Amino acid sequence: MSNFIGLIQNENMKIYRRMGNLIMILLLIGFIGLTGILTKTDKTKPVSDNWKQELKAENAAMQKTIKKEPMMKSHYERSIALNEYRITHDIKPVDAKSQWSFVGESPDAIQFILIFTIIVAGGMVASEFSWGTIKLLLIRPVSRTTILASKYLSTMLYALLLIIITFVFAWLWGGVLFGFDFSPGTHLSYANGKVVEENIVWHMWKEYGFASILLLMMATFAFMMSTIFRNSSLAIGFSIFLSMSGTVAVQLLSKYDWVKYILFANVDLKQYFDGTPLIKGMTLNFSLSVLAVYFVLFTALSWLVFKKRDVAA
Amino acid sequence: MSQKPLVELKDVKKRIGKKDIIHGLTFDIYGGEVFGFLGPNGAGKTTTIRMMVGLMSLSGGQILIKGKNIESHYKQAISEVGAIVENPEMYKFLTGYQNLIHYRRMVKGVSKGRIAEVIELVGLTNRIHEKVKTYSLGMRQRLGLAQALLHSPSVLILDEPTNGLDPAGIREIRYYLRQLAEKEGIAVIVSSHLLSEMELMCDRIAIIQNGKLIGVQSTKEFVESGTERKVRFLVDDPAAARHAVSHHVKAERITLGNEYLEAEMEREMIPEVTATLVVEGVKVYGISSETKTLEDKFLEVTGGKEIV
Repeated sequence: MSNFIGLIQNENMKIYRRMGNLIMILLLIGFIGLTGILTKTDKTKPVSDNWKQELKAENAAMQKTIKKEPMMKSHYERSIALNEYRITHDIKPVDAKSQWSFVGESPDAIQFILIFTIIVAGGMVASEFSWGTIKLLLIRPVSRTTILASKYLSTMLYALLLIIITFVFAWLWGGVLFGFDFSPGTHLSYANGKVVEENIVWHMWKEYGFASILLLMMATFAFMMSTIFRNSSLAIGFSIFLSMSGTVAVQLLSKYDWVKYILFANVDLKQYFDGTPLIKGMTLNFSLSVLAVYFVLFTALSWLVFKKRDVAA
Repeated sequence: MSQKPLVELKDVKKRIGKKDIIHGLTFDIYGGEVFGFLGPNGAGKTTTIRMMVGLMSLSGGQILIKGKNIESHYKQAISEVGAIVENPEMYKFLTGYQNLIHYRRMVKGVSKGRIAEVIELVGLTNRIHEKVKTYSLGMRQRLGLAQALLHSPSVLILDEPTNGLDPAGIREIRYYLRQLAEKEGIAVIVSSHLLSEMELMCDRIAIIQNGKLIGVQSTKEFVESGTERKVRFLVDDPAAARHAVSHHVKAERITLGNEYLEAEMEREMIPEVTATLVVEGVKVYGISSETKTLEDKFLEVTGGKEIV
């Protein structure tokens, strides 16, 4: 086991001693910093003391538009229900220019984390081949399986680190810009015609969790491509392309039933908690099973290829 | 060298696709010797080395290191091996020291003191904390040697170890490898295309060509076997000399130069031929005989084609 920790240290050294990977962390911090400044300088007014009247007026306006735009019915119903809940339970809307509102937006950064993690994952095995270092790496008394596992785990730790950096920096920067607030408010969500109260921090971590499923699957996919094709450009390019287009593609194809077996139809688990499933009949358990199958497929293929390959680079 | 061999190759075969790359190599390597691995490009040297260190699987036969099968008992077998396969490619964005730390974490029981020891040994003390990308090829070669020696292996496998070293560096490495073999009883296996190098460094040499073993011989035997040698006579009239020499040597073994004649013959023939030349009235200014070098021998054995 101490051996395995050593291997993780090795992989981490190879990730963090490279300028490119550190620049990605700086870009992430820069992105959050910039978002904060934009929010701060934004013209939206703070929530007034008169917010109950305002919400009532908003609801009345929405009731009217529902009749004109039946397409948007469910969207408006949701907003109306949330507003009514606020009024009856006296829960003031969260001010956009507040620390927790800003932190609550931070899961958006996971799109960047997705790309950065794919870049690291796509180079993980392929780079060892292109550097030629694979030959010295594999002639140690460590099994190839263990080496591959340490590489995979280090990739995931990199993603986790980026998520933690995002959260911590968003909290700090939000505090600096909007003042520290140690009593986060309540988030309201709407599912199956009911309004549910949630702690905003808990809600935010759930958002991270949902968004991380695509991250996990695509990082694993990039890692597999890297192992099979030993070409980091191919692994990175293809994985980023799929991440960007996959979700859109399944939306477009959602009229076909077989689409439910595609990975991208199942990565958004939020559809079962706050929204409607992409295809009728899909359930949380179904999606989890599909995800598990893809995950096992990706990791098993990487493992088999890495274990059996003759190293002739 | 009467003890048990440290490395045993038994009918080792490699087939890639439908092509047989290695056709069954069998030889043993003992502790305390420097063993040369010689062959033209594409002969299968590197493939064989890759199989010896477990980078490639065997299609047939087996390789034992200290009696442990490299395929079925990989960890135990490889623990005894230190190697550089082809070029010593290290992580360029890390320092030399970080590279060694990296490999230290992959084996058990290498102390920090041992790292300092191998750095000292390969003479990198002054530059070890600089990034590898600033190193010359020779320094990378030294760092490669350091990582191979880190875990005190009993078998050291080096592909082209003197590649990129200056003459002083080559002499140093040669001396050092001999020391390792003689003092510590390590089996040192080197492949090289610098044949003159091998002649100076190796105790025994295996020649392979087209994936077949042509022979394993001690370097001394190898060079001295074959009693024929080229003898050059410096003479005033090469044409007359040819006539004289043709009594003893077949015409196709004679070559004429501007002021000399060269003929292939056995050592015992030299006085006889000289006497004939004198009797025939040819003025002889000098006689020189060249012993065959490993290089000549190698060219002879492998047919002189495709040599690097």
